[in-house]
Amino acid sequence: MRWVRPLYMALSALFIALPIVVVCASALNSGRAMLFPPEDPTLDRFLAFFVEEEIWVTALRHSIIIALGAAALATLMAWPIAYQIWKRKDGLSKLIAGLASLPFALPPIVFGVGLSFLWSFTTGLGEIWAGMVSHAAFFLALPLVIISIGLQSIDRAHLDAAATMGAGEAVTFRTLIFPQTLPYTASAFFFVLVLSFNEFIIMFFVSSAAYSTVTLQIFNSLRNGFTPTMAVGAITFILASVLVFALVARFGNLPKLLGADDSNAP
Amino acid sequence: MTVEASSLAPNGFRRLASRGLILALVLFLSVAPFLLVIAVSLGQKIEGGAWDWGLTFENYQRFFVGGDWPESWSPLHLQQLWYSLFYAIAASLLAVVTAFPFTWAMTQLSRRTQALWLIFFLTSLSLSEVFVAMGWDVLLSNRSGLPMLLREGGITQWLKEVGWFQTFRDWGLANPRDLRFKPTSFATILTMTYLVWPYAVILLYPALSRVDRSMLEAAATMGAKPTAVMLSIVLPLVRLSLIGTTLLLFVFLLGAYVVVAVFAEPAKQTLSIAIYETIHGLTLNAPFGAAQAILLLVAATLLLIIGTRLSRARRVGEG
Amino acid sequence: MADLRLDKIGKTYGVYTAVEDLNLTFEAGKLTALLGPSGCGKTTLLRMIAGLEVPTHGRLFLGDEEITDLKAEVRNFGMVFQSFALFPHMSVAENIAYSLRIAGRSRRDCEARAAELLRLVQLEGLGGRRIGALSGGQRQRVAIARALAQEPRIFLLDEPMSALDAQLRGDMQMELRRLQQRLGITTIVVTHDQKEAMTMADRIVVMSRGRVEQVGSPQDIYHRPANAFVAAFIGTANLLPGLLHQDQIQVGADRFQVSPEMRISDRSEVTLFCRPEALNLYREAPPSNGLAAEVTFLRDLGPSIEVHLTSAQGDITVEVSGRTDLDLQLGDRLYVEFPREAIRVLPRDAEEKAA
Repeated sequence: MRWVRPLYMALSALFIALPIVVVCASALNSGRAMLFPPEDPTLDRFLAFFVEEEIWVTALRHSIIIALGAAALATLMAWPIAYQIWKRKDGLSKLIAGLASLPFALPPIVFGVGLSFLWSFTTGLGEIWAGMVSHAAFFLALPLVIISIGLQSIDRAHLDAAATMGAGEAVTFRTLIFPQTLPYTASAFFFVLVLSFNEFIIMFFVSSAAYSTVTLQIFNSLRNGFTPTMAVGAITFILASVLVFALVARFGNLPKLLGADDSNAP
Repeated sequence: MTVEASSLAPNGFRRLASRGLILALVLFLSVAPFLLVIAVSLGQKIEGGAWDWGLTFENYQRFFVGGDWPESWSPLHLQQLWYSLFYAIAASLLAVVTAFPFTWAMTQLSRRTQALWLIFFLTSLSLSEVFVAMGWDVLLSNRSGLPMLLREGGITQWLKEVGWFQTFRDWGLANPRDLRFKPTSFATILTMTYLVWPYAVILLYPALSRVDRSMLEAAATMGAKPTAVMLSIVLPLVRLSLIGTTLLLFVFLLGAYVVVAVFAEPAKQTLSIAIYETIHGLTLNAPFGAAQAILLLVAATLLLIIGTRLSRARRVGEG
Repeated sequence: MADLRLDKIGKTYGVYTAVEDLNLTFEAGKLTALLGPSGCGKTTLLRMIAGLEVPTHGRLFLGDEEITDLKAEVRNFGMVFQSFALFPHMSVAENIAYSLRIAGRSRRDCEARAAELLRLVQLEGLGGRRIGALSGGQRQRVAIARALAQEPRIFLLDEPMSALDAQLRGDMQMELRRLQQRLGITTIVVTHDQKEAMTMADRIVVMSRGRVEQVGSPQDIYHRPANAFVAAFIGTANLLPGLLHQDQIQVGADRFQVSPEMRISDRSEVTLFCRPEALNLYREAPPSNGLAAEVTFLRDLGPSIEVHLTSAQGDITVEVSGRTDLDLQLGDRLYVEFPREAIRVLPRDAEEKAA
């Protein structure tokens, strides 16, 4: 019975990897059709995606701008909220945190509908900046949780020690709290970055067909049938995700960030 | 203390102002959109794709009885809600049931190996619905992928000879000549399960990794076989996490758009598709779309409440 | 009841040896303590006995029955874990009756047995409590009751006192010992606390670096340690390196008369060992076995005074009665007498000589 466990794990991994492998391999097709296994493999599609085809180049630029902006905004907004909960633990800060997590806890399509109304009243519909802000609001719960975990890992005795040595709140924050939680802040930023990159439904509503990101562009091309060029987009995104999470795991404690208990490590 | 007291007045004011600013920002970005959906759902469509504020429940009535009431009754929207719930419940249960043994096995590995698995799942978790749809579309399409593999491998022929092919036809998983996986409910639920599988692992992981190993050993020294340990110790300990995970995945799947658009049969589309069509599609009826969104939210909330009640009732019964 | 016998039991993790080929017999009905510093392999040994760890080699016997390959769940050895490992989702009574429920016994049996064990550990009427509502001491009693519920063939305890505060520890050690004597159950306790081991055990197995250093009664181990490690690990020891020459040991310029030691060959390097309370202090030089020393620290413990001295041959600790008429002051120059019958000669193994 010893082989049952590894076999089940291997089958699960295969299940998860299968469509990813298929998409990646399809990018090598030379014709217009999406075939697996690929026919007459070529790397031309990569050139097309990154350089030649205007439509993909623009979409990729939009995706990057929105993801970077959303990640920065969400992290910036999450910091004061997480800090207040940790510092004061009062009703107001808990209320703010609860409200800020609302969009992430409800079906995203409802929030997408709401945002499309919000932006239509504030001239933001179809604007890149509105897309950025929308993603920041949608993913706000993530940096909130991650930064809170980071703050909780700070030994409060350090703060008392700093206070006895004459450090005020601002100095304590700058010299103790911020440096100790930097890995968590970075993790939060990258989590939002990757998720924003891949997000579809919110962007579907707030872009209002005025611009497209890579995911939107792929969905638009869906009706006309897949092309290998789209697969290149998928590969790019997957590689970016692996890179980011590997960095998070390398510089932060990934199991702990995801809620494992340090004292119980096997 | 004295230093802090003397600087309290200006600092306190600034602190209050900054907290007010944060609250306003959160209200505007996270709460206002939902309030707007409610407000718009009470409005009325006027000619030419525009709409006006109002205070009518017509949109909600239309959801339950159709647009031509009282001349005729149409359960179209209720049916869409039903498919939303059906797909989401089936896929979230399937995902939790299959991801649980995996996650349990994963937590038995070394911390380093766990981190590698987590990278793998985070990557596939962040993978857009669009890419998932793309991958499975290739895998399930009739020209390449699974049906072709089965045909070339002679399995389709074999199924026909054994007579099981008819069973596949009865389930709607085959056309007269070949196995056919899309569009079907099977493909929809499969891809939805795929979509949330990594989430299930990530969400179950904290509870499972915190189960104290010495409890399992204690149970073993008292004569419990591995199955008994699983049933009497592990499952009760992580029961809340199991229920919570299922509910979260369920809510997430209610809003699934792309996989339904790609894999569901036209007659079995969900509310998500309908909402987009109503607001941005041909009809441009924002108030009705908003009402549909609100009802999706209400259905989700109701099921969440039932789910949490169930888990609590069991807990009281135990004590 | 049968003896538990270990035949060349060993455990290695890759190149690291946790437990080296042990031959040990645990007598039926006795309490044996596995004593040693952390990382000495005592917990690994206990877990192999419990069936939670598979030995790399060697065999285990309970009487004539070989149990090496029996899994923990069929071995029927009750075990108390360091963290107690009580199940938080079950009540106290459900925890205690767990082994019976798993074995398919009736609800009434389970309840009756739980009540009986609660009485045994003096927790009557607490069966309905949740684990979270118990104090540390109560939790330990529940853990003990739970391990005993299945009437185990061997009773194992892994550092059972480490989660308790110091006050409670002493009481629980005596209580556990009384319980064990009343039930007459073969018991093995792992501990790193020599006082705990001496309070409870019939026999102590002193371990270090995966090896057994000495097996014996508490008195044996204390007064007749087999080597310098045991002497230093149990209580306070005065150890002076020297050269054995017939019935004398040469330590630097000083010479000590000793009882002839049969086990150790003449003219070999040895360690002179003496407990602090066996030494005497004098203002004048004694006729023999005296060593000049200067008082560096005085530790007044009430019933006794611990006198720390420095001498040409190293630091010496002497314990004198609190009612001594020596008016001790820091810096006093005194003579320490090593009574001939109190001195033990310990062999020095190769590693010590190298160091």
